[in-house]
Amino acid sequence: MIRTELLNNIMRKVKVFPSMSGTAAKVLALLDDPDTSPSEIGGVLRYDPGLTANILKLTNSAYFGFASRIASVNQAIVLLGSKRVVYLVMASCVNAIMDEEVIGYDLPPGELWRHSIAVSVAAEGLVKELKLPANEEIFTAALLHDVGKLILGYFVKEDLEKIESKAAEGLPFQEAERQVFGLDHAEVGADILKNWSLPPKIVSAVRWHHDPDSAEEVSSLIDVVHVANVLCLMIGIGVGREGLHYEPSPSATKRLGLKPASLEVVASQTLQWTNELVDVFESEKDI
Amino acid sequence: MKHVVEVGDMKVCGNGDTLVTHALGSCLGLIVCDPVAHVGGLLHAMLPLSKINPQKAIANPYMFVDTGVLHLFKQLYELGVQKKRLVVKAAGCGRPLGNNEMFKIGERNYTVLKKFLWKNSLLLEAEDVGGTASRTVNVDIASCKVIVSSNGEKREL
Repeated sequence: MIRTELLNNIMRKVKVFPSMSGTAAKVLALLDDPDTSPSEIGGVLRYDPGLTANILKLTNSAYFGFASRIASVNQAIVLLGSKRVVYLVMASCVNAIMDEEVIGYDLPPGELWRHSIAVSVAAEGLVKELKLPANEEIFTAALLHDVGKLILGYFVKEDLEKIESKAAEGLPFQEAERQVFGLDHAEVGADILKNWSLPPKIVSAVRWHHDPDSAEEVSSLIDVVHVANVLCLMIGIGVGREGLHYEPSPSATKRLGLKPASLEVVASQTLQWTNELVDVFESEKDI
Repeated sequence: MKHVVEVGDMKVCGNGDTLVTHALGSCLGLIVCDPVAHVGGLLHAMLPLSKINPQKAIANPYMFVDTGVLHLFKQLYELGVQKKRLVVKAAGCGRPLGNNEMFKIGERNYTVLKKFLWKNSLLLEAEDVGGTASRTVNVDIASCKVIVSSNGEKREL
């Protein structure tokens, strides 16, 4: 890796990036313990009524499609599973930081969050459409894939001309970032998530979301986040300064057995669910 | 008045109004104006053919190029436009880097539009399509003037 003053500056920003809220960190730590019971997770959340209300609102949203109303966190855990509930806690906690404007990439306030939700929805849609094995990490990996833009954006703004001239030569945008800074927003994102102690599978999906073939171990989790991200940019959700200047991996689409029709079916479902979930988070702010 | 057309939506309006749509990636932005009747519309369609999700097409025909374009022209004719005066312009239909067939939704959007126009003996007066840029389109209905912006640059279409 090229060690420059610029790179050191970026890494310093990663170190001081906000950590997760106490409650999110506590429930995440509980996931590491295979003996954790649903009531223990419920117990931690009991002390955070605002968060509990958020989780119930999300669980009761049309996206999850439960016929009857879910009235308690314990019930949500039984129906969705501990992991998914913990990841909904995380989503609620990162909403505030990911809702901000992202300079450099020219994303107005709310647009990175909308993109993140859209990629999560599209990723889960691809899993269903392609009948892939269920993967509880997928929503979170997709939700956090661009968190690195929050830091790198400041540096992108300063060196936009250099990056864009590299991109104009035909390099994908993240590769142009690497040539200018020595790393890209995917790597910055993975470093943030390591600091947050997120599971390695999620860190790896974020790290390789633009370059799934370079992962130490290829996986459908990484491939799905990769495809879902490109798809959401194509349909204009969270597409920024760099536009569609990324290259989808033909090997990833082959590994997933993806067909153009499946991609279009998922695209047709993504917009409505994204708006639905973004509205739930918006209404949480009124609590 | 300025009206914003969201992804998978369409609006028609009259003299004195402007229409804008943002973030055209692979989606088609179709502008149709009658400079005499001072009526025009803007469609932001996401996917080429409605048969991929017929239920969705009933709920929202503007999501698809085939149903969206048809509805746009229908509504404009109801507002008194004349075919021979129509100015038709297109923007968007981009695609990511590489040559992966899977991700050529923009090209398929463009093909479906061209087929419709050809069948109905209509010509595209101007277009700004393809490439990797994300585009914003502004339409001034009174003058039929269309401004496309991307990467901080503006140009008239």
